[in-house]
Amino acid sequence: MTDPNNNYFVSVAEIAAKLDQTTLISQQLSLTASNARAVALRAGEKAAGIRPLTDFIDRLAEITILSSKKINALAVILSKTSVKKMRADNAIERFNAVYKSGKEAKYIDSIDKQHQSCKLEQEQLEATYRRQINQLSIELKVLSSELRNAIILATLSRVEASQSGAQYQDALINVADNVEGAAAKIKEHIKYSQHKVSILEECVTLE
Amino acid sequence: MKTQMLFENGSHAWIMFGRDDEKTEKIIDTNQYMVVTSKNALLMDPGGIELFSAMLSAVIKQVPADKITHLFASHQDPDIISSLGLWDQALPNATLHSPWIWEGFIRHFGMENITYAPIPDEGRLLKIDNVNLEFIPAHYLHSSGNFNVYDGEAKILMSGDIGAALEAVDAPIYVEDFDEHIDKMKMFHQRWMPSNRAKNDWVKRVRKLDIDMMCPQHGRIFKGDNVKRFLDWFEALDVGVATNSG
Ligand SMILES: [Fe+2]
Ligand SMILES: [Fe+2]
Repeated sequence: MTDPNNNYFVSVAEIAAKLDQTTLISQQLSLTASNARAVALRAGEKAAGIRPLTDFIDRLAEITILSSKKINALAVILSKTSVKKMRADNAIERFNAVYKSGKEAKYIDSIDKQHQSCKLEQEQLEATYRRQINQLSIELKVLSSELRNAIILATLSRVEASQSGAQYQDALINVADNVEGAAAKIKEHIKYSQHKVSILEECVTLE
Repeated sequence: MKTQMLFENGSHAWIMFGRDDEKTEKIIDTNQYMVVTSKNALLMDPGGIELFSAMLSAVIKQVPADKITHLFASHQDPDIISSLGLWDQALPNATLHSPWIWEGFIRHFGMENITYAPIPDEGRLLKIDNVNLEFIPAHYLHSSGNFNVYDGEAKILMSGDIGAALEAVDAPIYVEDFDEHIDKMKMFHQRWMPSNRAKNDWVKRVRKLDIDMMCPQHGRIFKGDNVKRFLDWFEALDVGVATNSG
């Protein structure tokens, strides 16, 4: 088994990359909303329920874009912290080796101060790292619960489709499919990220 | 890591660190040098990441860490200065003297605390306490921005990759038989050094210096007459040989 501690900064970078894709998919939701609006315009009175629906899809797209951008930014910051932490961990490891091999060195005490401040920095980075992982985990939950609305919106689109007559049925089913598809993909990304985050959280508590 | 005192007088000392028997085989063996003055120390070509612990252990047997206020990197190579990110954690108040052309590159090794003091192409002086050192241009030997360190009082030239030899980790510190030593140097100089013009210009300038010891970053130190022998041999050598047309 590989030690996940060794590549935590790789995991974080992977999360950031995944969430970058999420932002792109959220942008497709926006496109779906404007398609739905075009249908509503054409349908006029026949599909009175579509207009509020497009507003909801629009809002969902907006929230998803904002949220995934925010999570992506968090993951990028976390990625920087984790690389810094790795460098500090690395330096501490080397200091420890010096304490071991240089026991009899005349000026061994002269590295105490730097060792201490390096350790302090490492502890601070550790705390920052924990805080940022926690934040990331919370934001992923928020996005996940927002996506529940996508199912409702897709269902409503299908209901509208069945009531709007053959002319607009296909277009509305298409809207429903798009909303559902985007939501499913984003959910997959969230699940992937949450899994990675939970491994990182485990490592932090194990230390 | 072995430690060898090369020179000592009332004002300062030259110490060599090298022949690290703990390093892995595929890493080229390097010599690190330190000038210790009354209140400060200059560490030259401190080496790669892999060497850092051994180096720090060896150095603090000689001086307290906070006395190392100056670092020097003759050029940008990993065997010269890839340990920078770790020294940066260990010596927050030090200054790194290195060719100006490499600043943007060397910073990739990680440098948040240490100050970069660029050396202009023509070289410059460095006075530490009462000791005068000179950064002598040695561009294209082999790096396109490269300096030696000359100490007129100790009559020592730290020559970086010039005079380097590839040999065993238990090799003696000094060149004993120059002619025998040629075999270990020839390929290194012909393959790593690109310019006959730069080489001959360097030989001409260095001949004017009073040198007792020429100290390369790999291999053995040249002492006394072996310095002149090296200059003669190097001047006659054809370098930059790896062109495709042969
Ligand atoms: Fe080099
Ligand atoms: Fe070298």
